[in-house]
Amino acid sequence: MRIPRGELRRSRVVDDAAAVLRAVLDEELTGYVVFEPQDALLLGETTSGVVTFEDGIPVLAYDTEREVGGRDGLEGFAVTGPTRAAVHAVDAAALADAHEVEAFRIPPGEPARVLAGDERLAERTVDAAPAARREEGRDQSAVEAFLADADAIEEIRSEAREEARARASEWGLDDVLADDARDSAAIEPGTDSR
Amino acid sequence: MVEAFAVASGKGGTGKTTSTLALGMALAEDYDVTVIDADTGMANLLFHAGLDDADVTLHDLLVDERDAAVSDAVYERFGMSVVPCGTSLAAFEAADPGRLRDVVAELAADTDVLLLDSPAALGSKSAVLPVVLADRIVVVLQPTVPSLSDGLKVQEYAHSYGTDTAGVVFNRVRPDENVDKIAEQAGRYFGGQTLASVPESDAVRAARREGKPLLAHAPEDPAADAFREAAARLDVRDGDGRDVAERFKSAVVPERI
Repeated sequence: MRIPRGELRRSRVVDDAAAVLRAVLDEELTGYVVFEPQDALLLGETTSGVVTFEDGIPVLAYDTEREVGGRDGLEGFAVTGPTRAAVHAVDAAALADAHEVEAFRIPPGEPARVLAGDERLAERTVDAAPAARREEGRDQSAVEAFLADADAIEEIRSEAREEARARASEWGLDDVLADDARDSAAIEPGTDSR
Repeated sequence: MVEAFAVASGKGGTGKTTSTLALGMALAEDYDVTVIDADTGMANLLFHAGLDDADVTLHDLLVDERDAAVSDAVYERFGMSVVPCGTSLAAFEAADPGRLRDVVAELAADTDVLLLDSPAALGSKSAVLPVVLADRIVVVLQPTVPSLSDGLKVQEYAHSYGTDTAGVVFNRVRPDENVDKIAEQAGRYFGGQTLASVPESDAVRAARREGKPLLAHAPEDPAADAFREAAARLDVRDGDGRDVAERFKSAVVPERI
């Protein structure tokens, strides 16, 4: 994906991506922010991603290491802990082409939700977005297709069950697990023993 | 008689707090209702209930050497007993989530219906505890894939702890969305029943700005009607308050997060 090089406004390490997203929303930035999670760096991994903005509202996300865009891309650089955020301003006209890449677009509240786990900021961002953008992420036929795929649903549920059991042990909540959950926990040894 | 419901969604932004207070106010017509903001990490019920300046909150009850009595954090508002939580991060860090069990047990002894506004997360013990402690969950969903997917997850967590699903509320439904088909499909995976389809409403935001629950701010709004319908469909079960209190007390929650 090509994003025109912008003018660097500031680059600093922040504890929380929410602070950057909030500032960008408030200043109504048109441009992009490059995120580089610092903990990943310490582990010898390079992780970085870009979120572009139009008037402070996120438009698209791209994981520059894995070269994946959209919501999947966003998850690639959603690493908790400090992150270096480099804020760049770009002329809106120069971003127009990039913003047409449908596959990389994200609903306006997604970066706050995924990168920062900040639901209030996500809501604030959606509220501030133009009416047309507020509708994004709501596609009824997609919902119906999702619910029609019984196998995929069962996979989500069984993964959640596994996760619930594994975490119950981690949190010392084994004793309050329902009997059937505990029984199956006893039969299937935890997979997360690394 | 008491039944404790955790109002849960797994995902934020579905209107859980609005739903909790709306169901609470509607149920308060027939029951003695206590609403607890169990979202100790991201409390916001206090803003919805005009309790921004509450002196004593749930946080004060969750610290090790507390001098506040449980009753000090209970505020009579809008026909309900409301236990708000504070928003200070320091207080959240000092709070021992395990103490929630004792607080809930004490409150359960003296009410008909307990509603726990639960965190929009499953990643920590304090986030999961309301679902562990409740008898049943009410899942608040939006008709979107991420919301349904997270709702399924929170339901599986709840079931793992023996907490059943009382029903599902579709919230913030847009006029162009027909939830009937989605509700019918979702009914195959979610327990309980579809309690209501609540339309997206500007009154919800206005109510929050005013620091009032929706049913107090705009009782005639279609969203308020839908929440009343949901409350009417919720079959609150008879139970012995002492049993519930006892069960809460025996829930083993030994460690801090």
